[in-house]
Amino acid sequence: MRRVIRMVDVMGPDLISDLPQSIIESILVKLPITDAVRTSILSSKWRYKWASITQLVFDDKCVPFSNDREIVERSVVKFITRALFLHQGPIHKFQISNSMLQSCPEIDQWILFLSRNDIKELVMEIGEGEFFRIPSSLFNCRKLTRLELSRCELDPPHSFKGFVCLRSLNLHQVLISPDAVESLISRCPLLESLSLSYFDNLALTISAPNLKYLYLEGEFKDICLEDTPLLVEISIAMYMTDDIAEHFEQSSNCNFLKFLGGVPNLEKLVGLIYFTKYLSIGIDSVHLPIMYHNLETIELHQVNFEDTKEILVILRMITSSPNLKELHISGSSNIPIAADAPDLDFWEKGCLSDSSLNRLKTVKLSEMGGWPHELEFIKYLLCRSPVLETLSIIPCVFDMGNNLKMLIELVKCRRASSRGEVIFIHE
Amino acid sequence: MSEIDMAVIKPEMMKPYIWLETSDGSIQQVEQEIAMYCPLICKEIIQKGMGSSKNCAICLPQRVSPATLSLILDYCRFHQVPGRSNKERKSYDEKFVRMDTKRLCELTSAADSLQLKPLVDLTSRALARIIEGKSPEEIREIFHLPDDLTEEEKLEPLKNTTDDPRIRLLNRLYAKKRKELKERERLKSVEVEEEHIDKRSVDDLLSFINGNDEDQKGIKTSKNKKKNRRKKEQHQKNSSLKEASGVNKKEVNGQNIRHPDSEADIIAETSISHTEDVFPHKEFDDGDIDDGIDPALKEKIDREVEDFARRLNSDWPERMQELLSSGQERKTRLYSPNGNSFLRRNA
Repeated sequence: MRRVIRMVDVMGPDLISDLPQSIIESILVKLPITDAVRTSILSSKWRYKWASITQLVFDDKCVPFSNDREIVERSVVKFITRALFLHQGPIHKFQISNSMLQSCPEIDQWILFLSRNDIKELVMEIGEGEFFRIPSSLFNCRKLTRLELSRCELDPPHSFKGFVCLRSLNLHQVLISPDAVESLISRCPLLESLSLSYFDNLALTISAPNLKYLYLEGEFKDICLEDTPLLVEISIAMYMTDDIAEHFEQSSNCNFLKFLGGVPNLEKLVGLIYFTKYLSIGIDSVHLPIMYHNLETIELHQVNFEDTKEILVILRMITSSPNLKELHISGSSNIPIAADAPDLDFWEKGCLSDSSLNRLKTVKLSEMGGWPHELEFIKYLLCRSPVLETLSIIPCVFDMGNNLKMLIELVKCRRASSRGEVIFIHE
Repeated sequence: MSEIDMAVIKPEMMKPYIWLETSDGSIQQVEQEIAMYCPLICKEIIQKGMGSSKNCAICLPQRVSPATLSLILDYCRFHQVPGRSNKERKSYDEKFVRMDTKRLCELTSAADSLQLKPLVDLTSRALARIIEGKSPEEIREIFHLPDDLTEEEKLEPLKNTTDDPRIRLLNRLYAKKRKELKERERLKSVEVEEEHIDKRSVDDLLSFINGNDEDQKGIKTSKNKKKNRRKKEQHQKNSSLKEASGVNKKEVNGQNIRHPDSEADIIAETSISHTEDVFPHKEFDDGDIDDGIDPALKEKIDREVEDFARRLNSDWPERMQELLSSGQERKTRLYSPNGNSFLRRNA
């Protein structure tokens, strides 16, 4: 074969092919997988450089688009299988985030392959459809540090001793028995971040001494943070079913204590939907000694201001957090049904301490209907926040009459902060 | 020097300096807190106590040239200040990596040798952005990569795992090219250069045009317009030659109408060997119209043929006169399949 002498040879020395593999890896890993594989035809040195990268990410763009899902699925499967086959060396990160791919037998083989290649981070987000059953080879991945699964069935064997290196666990719409979840969590001693979403009817006890970030979303009957002293950030969205409602009625525990009793290092708390309701159960029965010195941000949504117990939750939280900087409360958009006068005595009672909120700077109140308890709450905040800078109010009912009533009341309020601005957001 | 010693020394010196030696042997002084941002330098200072004077200057790895070092120090100088916001840092980084590819590669290499991971990440990201979405040729040009995969290696249907339609098309093209290459091997003996066609006698062409077979015209005029022009020039040259009354090299007059067949054969063969289009037939029989030229192209060809014929025919009467009067021996020119020479064949 004749060799063509090209201008390229004359232009200058190769700029990149002789850089150490760690740099080449660093570059290839930042390319989409298709571009990385294509570097194999650049030159003889580049033929197999891509094959030893340690991160393989297959997303929706890794194969050409087609409206026929089956065609796309077949090409994704072919691509991944071939890529794994041609690959040499350890694979530290493997991610499939492809909505066209559904449960297929090849997934088992891929996970088996990965388990033999020191996999550390595994993310499987495949498309809607039949849940695929995670093969047992997953539980042999000793070096796993991050596991993210969605829409699958997980069934750890009895002999499973846990992932000793796991730091991050994210299960989304995963079919797994409650016992299995609890034992999985407790057997991962290094677990720092836990996220469980779309679970049904789960009563969960979490025991994770290193846990820092907790994110739960679903129908939880009961959450008990048994051993989580290092928790820094919590975000809970609790959905309600009749079952759960009934459970709430009958419960005699103090949920507040059960949940927030053992998290002194908390920095941020976010509660959605029925979380405040959950915390309100049993709250007036116990006095809470705990202070949250690091808690700087509180967000409680869908709070029912008709229920004084829920208001009590907020008040207790705020008064136990001397360093609170940011508060965001949103009311429920339900119009109060109670015809009789609200119990405004509640606000007069001395059970509310006179402590001021010395660090509170930003307050945002949304979905405000202008109801009496809400107004009292705003007055409460304004009186006790000497360094308040902004109080934003977003009404939920764009009824001029109601808003006007609210504004009139607000104007009357005494303010502790000279710099504080009350911003009424009216669209 | 232990860390305690460092702590003691620090307050005494206003701004401690560190001596660094680069790959070319030059030694320079750099503020310690900036240089310490590089883990390698940090280690050298703390663990080995180097760098405190010119004599024990820290020898930087070979990949760090003075120019690259100054870039790295700029980076360190900005980032070691603790008060900057993430936005500021990001914006600085974006501007920092705007440089030509050669310097970017050198910078990556140097940052890697100094173990300055954030800078390695930044520069690799910039290099990845350069590579992303480009064709192999473009990438080779940017980075001066040798195109040294052999034809065969490249023509191997890319063991590419992408199933990209582009790759599929490429493979198809390669398959076609491979076939062509094989064809060429076989037809090597028929290799003739394009100019020769142009130098064909006008008479040959004329008889070709006026011949029975429409397709032959097609083949001829499917060559580019340039050839037509050349033919015209040739025609003019020939006329001038005639005037100069060269004897032997004169063309034949139109009366010698050769059998279109053999002429067509040879013309057809030659055309195949050096045109890019692959004609399905090598030989044209009389009246064999179907040669795969599509109707639109055929029309175009017909038009060109008519045009050319008209041009020739405008001169034809006077030329005929000259030729007849000079009573030339009929000579024809033929292409020989072997090499460049013309063979003359006596009529």
